[in-house]
Amino acid sequence: MSSLDSITPAEPARQDQAIAVPTGAGSASLSTEVSFRRARSAAKRQTLRDVGLRVASVIALVSIWWLLSLFFPPSLVPKPWDTFAEVGVIVTSGNFFTEMGATLRRVLVGFGLAMIVSIPLGIFMGTLRSLESFFEPPVILGLTMPGLIWAVLAIMFFGLNETSAYAAVAVTIAPMLAISIWQGTKSIDKDLIDMSKVFHASAWSKVVDVILPQLISHILAAIRYGLGLAWKVVVVVEMFGFSNGVGYQVVRGFNVFSMKAVLAWTITFLVVMIVIEFGLIGWLERSVTRWRPRVEAWRR
Amino acid sequence: MAYVRVDRAVKFFPREDGSEMLVLDGVSFDAKEHGITCLLGPSGCGKSTLLNAIAGLEKLDQGEIEFRVPGSTLHPTSHIPDLPARSPKLGYVFQDPRLLNWKRVEDNLVFAFKGMKIPRESWQGRLEKYLSLVGLLSFRKQYPLYLSGGMRQRVGLARGLAIEPEILLMDEPFSKLDQLTARQLRQDTVDICARLGQTTMLVTHDVEEAAYMGDRVVIFSSRPAHILEVVDNPLEATERDLDDLAFIRFKKRLLQTVLKLVDQEGV
Ligand SMILES: Nc1ncnc2c1ncn2[C@@H]1O[C@H](COP(=O)(O)OP(=O)(O)O)[C@@H](O)[C@H]1O
Ligand SMILES: [Mg+2]
Repeated sequence: MSSLDSITPAEPARQDQAIAVPTGAGSASLSTEVSFRRARSAAKRQTLRDVGLRVASVIALVSIWWLLSLFFPPSLVPKPWDTFAEVGVIVTSGNFFTEMGATLRRVLVGFGLAMIVSIPLGIFMGTLRSLESFFEPPVILGLTMPGLIWAVLAIMFFGLNETSAYAAVAVTIAPMLAISIWQGTKSIDKDLIDMSKVFHASAWSKVVDVILPQLISHILAAIRYGLGLAWKVVVVVEMFGFSNGVGYQVVRGFNVFSMKAVLAWTITFLVVMIVIEFGLIGWLERSVTRWRPRVEAWRR
Repeated sequence: MAYVRVDRAVKFFPREDGSEMLVLDGVSFDAKEHGITCLLGPSGCGKSTLLNAIAGLEKLDQGEIEFRVPGSTLHPTSHIPDLPARSPKLGYVFQDPRLLNWKRVEDNLVFAFKGMKIPRESWQGRLEKYLSLVGLLSFRKQYPLYLSGGMRQRVGLARGLAIEPEILLMDEPFSKLDQLTARQLRQDTVDICARLGQTTMLVTHDVEEAAYMGDRVVIFSSRPAHILEVVDNPLEATERDLDDLAFIRFKKRLLQTVLKLVDQEGV
């Protein structure tokens, strides 16, 4: 390395930013204002197009269903609108909210238990090498274990009660949550930890202001996947002989061989899950990542 | 009263292949009390490593760093033994800005205020003072990733200054800025340091910057770093003017010293 190279008498101007007037408060010029507006209306058009495509996709699915119903008896493939009418009956009869409430409660309690264990576990595994080695095998094993087997084990162990539902959900998703938080912790920026040390940040502030914000997108992704797993497990547990919940209702429809009831309960369940996954969690994600510029520009 | 003395600092870093790389090879110097000490040396010689050691982020393998601040010292060699020991109040402007990107510009400063236990009443005043100093007052509510690289660097500078530390470490704070902004901020930083009287150590590889800002210039060799020479600036901070003949003469002398020393080293 040549030292002459690096000790330069005068520093060349860098091109990485416009010349800024140190005390000036930049007010947007007219031309930038116009181009902003143009960009915004283009973005709006694109959102409209995206929504339209999604609606078209749903209509296509229902049409295929309708086509199928022309070739099969209603006991096998009921007409879409008959099924939607049944959905209406379920929702207005009032029993929808108690059944869905029972299922949601099982998912949420199981989820909460899994979070309480996995977040600290994942953080410790990401920071302490000895804990990483110790907990890696059980976490990997847990991840490969099918949720159905956890459901069987939980019911055999706890009996047919709420505890077994909570346990089955928690045990199924905990390894997945732990893994993503473990990996997230390993990718934490050490330079920022150093910075927080220099400015004497308290332990609380290090966790809340420095570490958790770096984990939040990992946690949200984990919640997404975790919810997907949790719905599946909870329905299975309920089918085993619970006396309420969406899984129970589906089995009841099965017992009287009412395809319409099975499909109607499935549809209501799907709608609720989609609202939670895309509405609630999507909103949560957008509101905690507002600080990050969107990388939409390169997409068509 | 706040001073920093670096005494025979030695630091090794492990290489990929397991061998040790000597980075600091017995670095010793005294920082100028209440003044700016510029650490001038080629890149990769270990300047950032030394600042990290001073900030307590890196442990030296040998040697010591001694602080003396009003109220006492980190070190047992205190001349004022009756007062309770306390660490110096230290600010650091990093080479990369190291901002919390999920916090607005002003909240990045508040993060440091909280940690340094700066009374809440003075937050507002300091935010306004230091953000306008770096020309970012109108961006106080913005998130860092929406700013340019140079603007982010200035947020880091404002954060380091705003806690009004007794010891201020700055690692090439102006090297990512455009010429005009850099020139203005150098002058502002000199003024502020003179006013607050903190002991400042500023890393640079720019001879003109060292001549303009440094009350003392410590010239580093290339790696493994040792001190080639310590030059005190003959001009007071108020007398330095980039176009003034006396200043240009000093700058030339400093450059010649650097070139001569580098030559003698045979690098
Ligand atoms: N954490 C580290 N581990 C190993 N090597 C390092 C580490 N930090 C810095 N180095 C090496 O030490 C040398 C000095 O680095 P640095 O102090 O950043 O130089 P400068 O700031 O003078 O440009 C460089 O060769 C760099 O590669
Ligand atoms: Mg450096």
